[in-house]
Amino acid sequence: MENPTPDIRQEVFNALRQVIDPEIGVNIVDLGLVYQVTVEKEVLSVDLTLTTPGCPMSGTIMTAVENILEINFTNYERAVQLVWSPMWTPDMITEGGRRQLG
Amino acid sequence: MPAASVSNSPNKWVVLPHFAFAACAFLVVSVLLLFSTDAFAGHYFHPKLLTLTHVAVLGWATMLIFGALYQLLPVVLECKLYSERLAAAAFSLLAVGTVLLAICFWNFNLGGWLHVAGCCLFLAFVLFNINVYQTARLAPKWTITSDFIVTSALWLLLTGFLGLLMAINFTNPFLPKDHLLYLKMHAHMGMAGWFLLLIIGVGSKLIPMFLLSHPKGTRKLSWSYNLINAGLLLFVVDQLFFQTTYLPIYAALVVAGVALFMWYIYEARALALRKDLDLGMQQTFIALLLLLLPLVIVFLVSAEVGLQAPLLSALYLVYGLSVFLGFVTALILGQTFKTLPFIVWMHVYEKQVGRFKTPLPKDLYFPKLLQAQNFCYLAGYITLLLGVLLREPSVIMAGSIVFTAAALLYTVNVFHMLLHRARQLEPITYGKSNS
Repeated sequence: MENPTPDIRQEVFNALRQVIDPEIGVNIVDLGLVYQVTVEKEVLSVDLTLTTPGCPMSGTIMTAVENILEINFTNYERAVQLVWSPMWTPDMITEGGRRQLG
Repeated sequence: MPAASVSNSPNKWVVLPHFAFAACAFLVVSVLLLFSTDAFAGHYFHPKLLTLTHVAVLGWATMLIFGALYQLLPVVLECKLYSERLAAAAFSLLAVGTVLLAICFWNFNLGGWLHVAGCCLFLAFVLFNINVYQTARLAPKWTITSDFIVTSALWLLLTGFLGLLMAINFTNPFLPKDHLLYLKMHAHMGMAGWFLLLIIGVGSKLIPMFLLSHPKGTRKLSWSYNLINAGLLLFVVDQLFFQTTYLPIYAALVVAGVALFMWYIYEARALALRKDLDLGMQQTFIALLLLLLPLVIVFLVSAEVGLQAPLLSALYLVYGLSVFLGFVTALILGQTFKTLPFIVWMHVYEKQVGRFKTPLPKDLYFPKLLQAQNFCYLAGYITLLLGVLLREPSVIMAGSIVFTAAALLYTVNVFHMLLHRARQLEPITYGKSNS
């Protein structure tokens, strides 16, 4: 029996590329803010962080992620968690993200 | 992995009125400049200059810093603001106190209303201190940033207290020493204790954050904090009890503290992943460059180098202008466009992101006006300084006109942001759905 999970995880990452950090202008996946996407049974979990604790955009970014998952993955229960460990550093930005930063 | 809490941002009505009041006050400062060209020919203790200084320092800079800080404290200290009610009360008292003080100074009415203004302002500073200290106590850890912010608030309180004593002393003389000695202390406690410490504390956190840079260690900042406070404390004690000729030594301590902060920012800039600076950050770095001028002049006015009285008097004026209309104003002009668009954007679009195509925060203001504002500000400021130094009213007037243009451009952009409303938004359509 085929396991659909890897494809769905990739779809989640692709969908989350729509969420742009409004200050930096780079999407949260390329910024390295999405730590983990797991799909277990019918539950889709996303662990994400922010560039700095206390970031005023935390509410906005969380809402954007929840909205996007709600629109695109209606067959799943969704759980979005904001985490601080490990602490984000600029080293986590992907090559693509670095190119966008110029 | 531990889950974290969501946004700590305060209600927009706590923050935004500060920006509106400050923008109006900045416009008032520039218009007052137009009517005060004659005042720059004499001593700094002049009704028009006292009015100008206090509207600039309280109505413009302190008001905007209060507002921005209520938004930024949760960012830099990583916890919620202690009390939004205290913040609203401090706003009202600061606004009323500033308007009363300005009217009293302009008319040189040193009676009861001046005392009322002083009491309003002092009370505003007390409430602000309670809010800042309690917020810092709520923070998960006490850092060097907390030291800078809490200490700067304390210096503000002391500055306000001394100001109140001086206001009472005008009509009921009781202070044992010359009024100008207290004025000098009042000014320096405000400049180095309140503005400088606060800007270093918040700037050392925010500038690397905006640059996407993580400079390692805080030793330079700790030494910066120690040196600036030591210099200022020694200056105050010296002036109160001894009046020695060691003032340049105290100035050197403060300058060394600033130099360490500059070194920290230089390292942050070198490590930055964001190499391109937007207009707000460009203006911030210009402000840091402008800080060099008062750091040089402080030695000329504090050391007895035998300057002629008219030149020394003009230098005192340039010194004050270079701090308030130079460094502090330049920094605020830049940082307004790093903070206000986000605050407004967040409140207008927070629920819509991910569902609708929303503009970005930088789309909420006119970048061309901002560019023109930054240019007019620098041109106006430099012309004004030259006019004051040369004691040339026509040059002062020319500088004031260009400076007023900068204030107008700033005010238009600020109110354009404050009055921003969401238009009909287009829904986002995703290429592939898994529903």
